[in-house]
Amino acid sequence: MDARAVSTSRLVSIAAALAGSLLLLFLAAPVIGLVGVGGAEGLARLGSDAELRDALLLTALCATAATACAALGGVPLAWLLARRDFPGRAVLAACLDLPLLIPHPVAGIALLLLLGRDSAVGGAALAAGLRIVGTPLGIIAAMAFVAAPLFVSAAREAIARVDARYEGVARTLGDTPWRAFRRITLPLAGRGLLAAALVTWARAVSEFGAIVVLTYNPKVVSVLSYDRLTSHGLSEALPVAAALAVLALVPLTLLRALRADAERVR
Amino acid sequence: MIAVESLTASKGRFTLRDVSVALPAGGYGVVIGPAGAGKTTLLEVIAGLLRPSAGTVRLGGTDLRGVPPEARGVGLVYQHAFLFPHLSVQDNVAYGAADAAAVREVVDRFGVAPLLDRAVESLSGGERQLVALARALARRPRVLLLDEPFSALDPRRRAQVRREVRALHAAWALTTLQVTHDFAEAGLLGDQAILLDGGRVLQAGPPAEVFRRPATPYVAEFLGAENVLVGEVRGSGDAAGAMGADAAVDAAATADEDATRAVVFASGPLTLHAVGDVPPGARHAVIRAEEITVSRDQAHDSARNRFAGRVVEVAAHGPLTRVTVEVRGVPLVAALTTHSARDLRLEPGIAVVVSFKAMAVHLC
Repeated sequence: MDARAVSTSRLVSIAAALAGSLLLLFLAAPVIGLVGVGGAEGLARLGSDAELRDALLLTALCATAATACAALGGVPLAWLLARRDFPGRAVLAACLDLPLLIPHPVAGIALLLLLGRDSAVGGAALAAGLRIVGTPLGIIAAMAFVAAPLFVSAAREAIARVDARYEGVARTLGDTPWRAFRRITLPLAGRGLLAAALVTWARAVSEFGAIVVLTYNPKVVSVLSYDRLTSHGLSEALPVAAALAVLALVPLTLLRALRADAERVR
Repeated sequence: MIAVESLTASKGRFTLRDVSVALPAGGYGVVIGPAGAGKTTLLEVIAGLLRPSAGTVRLGGTDLRGVPPEARGVGLVYQHAFLFPHLSVQDNVAYGAADAAAVREVVDRFGVAPLLDRAVESLSGGERQLVALARALARRPRVLLLDEPFSALDPRRRAQVRREVRALHAAWALTTLQVTHDFAEAGLLGDQAILLDGGRVLQAGPPAEVFRRPATPYVAEFLGAENVLVGEVRGSGDAAGAMGADAAVDAAATADEDATRAVVFASGPLTLHAVGDVPPGARHAVIRAEEITVSRDQAHDSARNRFAGRVVEVAAHGPLTRVTVEVRGVPLVAALTTHSARDLRLEPGIAVVVSFKAMAVHLC
């Protein structure tokens, strides 16, 4: 490589780093600012602000329930998508991306249409004594709707990474399909499935648009921060928003640790 | 025991078309073919891991349509072993084992006892293949399917493991079907050789027969026959004696061969004498290099085909030397022991006589 080529390639690197830094700054600055300004007060409020405490707990519990629902249906679906060739597989995969693409209030309205008291499903649930809209069930439904596709797509990748021939060998060694999945694929894809669950949980925690349509009260943290902003102004919203940002950092940190562990094993 | 009939199946870019294989109970079959021939796909269909789109697979007379892999009694060892990485070697071997005694027996036979406490990641490729063999056999399958199982072993270990597999095959009357791209292995192990290429069976039969009598010129070249000459049959039976001067001169020599089955085959400037049944439409003569002798004088031997030529190339490969002799513009390759090639002081440009028996000329 001659001197000019070297200097050109260095120029390209510098330009790329500059452009990248600007974007990173734009992404990181608000979050850092938020946690920096409101973080300490947010943590301090945890002791005194019962509404914030309850909202955090509700958010974490509902996100966990939504993630469990996503995993329950998502793991079998991911296995089918990863392992079986069937008519309409491509269409199904495309449909799974749909919830990621429609605006979240629209998703909330669609869910309201399905689960509201005047709908068939919502009506039947209500007749069985189960209110969905305006309860934590509505929160879970909204969270699951927007976050489950993430789980399925990440889980599909995790399962596809485990060579199907491991399952094949297990079958020739006497395992039924379910047993082979449980003894071989599940443990081998375990780390990937856990990562999928973490991403799903994080996405559920950060949801606002769909939840606010279905269940305004009881409030999850995102709704609470919006509520405080509109009724009390920025100073009241800030600690709540910061607490939510800190909560979102938990799965992010776990995910990083998981990936680092995977690197070390490999 | 294994009867595959008119099987058609596809997996990714590999497709089997109308494949039939028959292997008796306790037989050892070897599927030979280049990469991409569909060898592994065939094993996966027999194991039940891949559903064929047409055709049947029978084991011991039972049609296996709809029988899941776990109920087939078939052991499968992949080329890359596929040991379960989250289990210990011990747990791998015991994964589907019939009983503890079976585990002990295979562990002893394949010498994997020292590996039992090791982690799968720490094993070498050869060790993995041994453990995979032990794991498959600990289940005491009726049928063993092996996909290039010796490829990762060093030569000394390979000979030893081959012997053990052969011994187990005999002791348990285990019907075995092995896939390889190594012709020598087919000759060493198999009772039955099945040539697979492009998803089709080219030829099947005892290895010696397949090697000596390839069904098509393609099979001949596929199996490494050096001399495949294009031409046509000029006459056969008694009529052959009247064909051309070559045949008339050597008329006396026909006494030691069945004159009624003698054949004359013309290939460009060469006229070859062959013997035996000629398949209809035969347009190729195949002569294996080891059937051709090279000498420096006209000394008479009983060989029916004898040509003067000139050495154009001498290439030594360890104990064997390949000598290319040009006869009237046609290159013929002979395989000599390196020792005799040295005795003959062969080098390019030297005039020699090549000869081979009519029996050595195979028409197809």
